[in-house]
Amino acid sequence: MAAATIETSALTRSYGEICALKPIDLLVPEGEWLSVMGHSGSGKSTLMNLVGGLDRPSGGALKVGGKDLLALSEDGLARFRREYVGIIFQQHHLVPYLSAVENVMLAQYFHSTPDEAEARNALERVGLGHRLKNRPGELSGGEQQRVCIARAIINSPKLLLGDEPTGNLDHKSTMMVMELLKELRAEERFTVVMVTHNQEVAAWGDRTIYLDDGVLVREERTRC
Amino acid sequence: MLALKLLPQLLAWTATALLLLRAFSGRRLATAYAAGAGFLGGTAALAVVPGALLYDMVRGFLGAAFLLLWGVSVVVLYQSNRREGASGVRFLNRAPLCGAVALVCGLIAGATCACRLGSGAAGQLLTPLLLAVAGCALVAAALYAERLLSPRITVTPAGLLAALVALALFASSFLIRVDLFAPLSMKVMKGTHDFVHQFMESVLIPDHIFVRQVVWGYIGIFFSKDVGFWGGMVIWFTPVCLLLLAIRLQRLPKVSHIRQGAQRRQVIARAIKERNLRLAVPGFALAVLIAAAYQSQHPTVEYWDPKPLQLTANAAGEIFIPRKGEVNLEDGKLHKYLFKQGEREARFFVLMAPNGKLTVDLDACAICKPDGYGQTEGTLICYYCKTLIPLETIGMTGGCNPVPVQFADTPDGVRLNAASLLNSWGQTIQSTTRPKEGGK
Repeated sequence: MAAATIETSALTRSYGEICALKPIDLLVPEGEWLSVMGHSGSGKSTLMNLVGGLDRPSGGALKVGGKDLLALSEDGLARFRREYVGIIFQQHHLVPYLSAVENVMLAQYFHSTPDEAEARNALERVGLGHRLKNRPGELSGGEQQRVCIARAIINSPKLLLGDEPTGNLDHKSTMMVMELLKELRAEERFTVVMVTHNQEVAAWGDRTIYLDDGVLVREERTRC
Repeated sequence: MLALKLLPQLLAWTATALLLLRAFSGRRLATAYAAGAGFLGGTAALAVVPGALLYDMVRGFLGAAFLLLWGVSVVVLYQSNRREGASGVRFLNRAPLCGAVALVCGLIAGATCACRLGSGAAGQLLTPLLLAVAGCALVAAALYAERLLSPRITVTPAGLLAALVALALFASSFLIRVDLFAPLSMKVMKGTHDFVHQFMESVLIPDHIFVRQVVWGYIGIFFSKDVGFWGGMVIWFTPVCLLLLAIRLQRLPKVSHIRQGAQRRQVIARAIKERNLRLAVPGFALAVLIAAAYQSQHPTVEYWDPKPLQLTANAAGEIFIPRKGEVNLEDGKLHKYLFKQGEREARFFVLMAPNGKLTVDLDACAICKPDGYGQTEGTLICYYCKTLIPLETIGMTGGCNPVPVQFADTPDGVRLNAASLLNSWGQTIQSTTRPKEGGK
C-alpha cells in the first residue's frame, strides 16, 4: 500500500483576525520524513492539524494521498483520520485506567474491531512485551511514548504525525523513540510529518522546513 | 371510524410493501404494481368469495405460510455455518418471483382487510372501493419512503419471509376468526391433554393405589391453560429465533490471506456490521410477532354474552321459554338462561341456527371447564379454550361443541324437562372440573 503524498497550495488557516498559517505551498512525496521546526506560535501544529484532518483550512487546497480534504464531509474526514493517519502527541493522551495493551486495542476498536494478539504483537515490536498489563501510571515517560507509537501504528496508517513526541523525554529515551520510529518507518513505509523544537530530532528526517509566523521561511535536506 | 378500525391492517400493509420494495429493490415498480394489484384482488374477494370461505382461506394460507417459515428457519439454521451469503439471495430480483410474492402478499393483506370490514360491507360498493384506493395509495407511499431508508438495511430471503409472515399474522390477530395464536395455544393444550390422557389410560395409572391426590395435582399442571399458552409461545417464536440464531452463527469471511492486520480487522468489522444489520429484519419480525401474540391474548372483539335469565319449572317439572316473550328466540342471538332447583343449578342457552331451527344446549362442553360461550359474527367462542364453533354445527355433539339438551320445539316456544337438564349439567361439569387439578 502506497504511503501518503501531501500537496498543499496556498493553504491558510485563520482564527478570527489571527492568521496562524499564511499561504503555504508544500509537497511531501510518499514515504518522506518531514521535520517541521519553528518557534512557538509559528504555525507548526496548525499545519500538522490540517494535514492530519484534525482541522479544516480557511483557504487554499490540501490533498493527502490523492484525497481532497476540503471536499470531505465530517464523516469522510473522520474515516480519513481513522484509516489514514496515526498521531503521536507530546502529552501521551493514554487512558489512565486501561492497561498498555487495552490502550492499543482501543485504537483498534475505533478503527474496526479489537484483536488482542495483534495489539500484543505491536507492543512487543516497540519493546514493551513485558509491560502489556501495566497501566500508563506504572510506565516511564519513554515507555508511555512507546505505547503511543504502538497505538499510532496499529491501524497501519499511511501518514504518521508527531507533535513534539519527544518533548517530554530525556536524551536517552528520545534516541530510543527516534530509533524505533526509524525502524518502523523502514518496515511500514509510511510518510512522517514531525513537529519539533529539537534540531537533533529534526535531523532524523529527510527534510526540514522552518516556519516563522505562519510563513514557510526555509527548508533544507538533512539526508540524501 | 373505518380507517381507525383498519389502522393495524393498513399499517402492516405499508410495512409489508416497504419490505417487498427493499427486498426486490432491483424491480421496485414491478413489485409495487403486483402488490397493488394483489391488494385490489384481495379486497374484491369480499364481493366474490362467501364470508365463511374467505375467513377459512385467509386462515389456511396464514397457517401454511407459518409452516413454511418453520421449514425455512430450520434449513437456514442448518446452513448457517456456510461462509457464502444468505441462501436464496440469487432468487431475489427475478421478475416472476418479485411479482408472485408481491401479488400473494397483496392478496392476503387485501383479504385480511376485507375480513376486518366484515360481511356487512359485502353488499356495499363505496367501502371496499375506499379500502382498495387506500391500499394502493399506501403502496405508492411505501415506494417513496423506501428510498429514504438507509441503503445499509438489506433483506435476506429468510428475513423477508419472517417479516412478511409476522406482519400478516399481526394483521390477522385483530380478527378472532383468522387469528392463529389462540387456536395454536388451544391445540397445544388439547394435544398435551390427549397425550397425558392416553398415556394414563395405556398404563392404567388412574386405578393405581399409589397415585394419590397430590400426584394428581402435579399431573393437573399438564391440563392447565398455561401449558397451552407457553407451548403456543414456543411454537410461535421459535422460527424467528432460529433465524436470528442462524444469522448470529454465520461464519465470518476468511482473512488469513490478508497480510496487514488493520486490513484484516476492517474486513472482519465490515462483515460483523453487515451481519448485525441483517438481524434488523428478523428482529423486527420478532417484535411484530410479540405484538400479534399480545393482541391475540387481549382481543378487542366484544362478544355477545347476555346475562343468564333465571327460570323456574312448573309443577310438572317442565321449563317453558316462549318464542317471543321477554326475548325473541328467533333473532339469531345467543340467549342464556339459569335454572335453579334447591342447591342444583344448570346454565344453558337457546339459539336459532342459520338453518332456522332452534337449538338448546348447555353453556358448557364435554371437554373444557364450564366457562361458557360468547357469540361473534357467525360463530360461538368457548371462553376457556378459545375454540370457534360455527353456528351451523351448534346442536351437534362432540369436540368443544356445547352439549345439546333434549327439548320440545312447539309453535309457541321450547319446553325442557327440568330434571333431565339438571342431570345433564351435573354430569358434564363433574367430568370437566376436578378440584385441585387446576384444569379440565
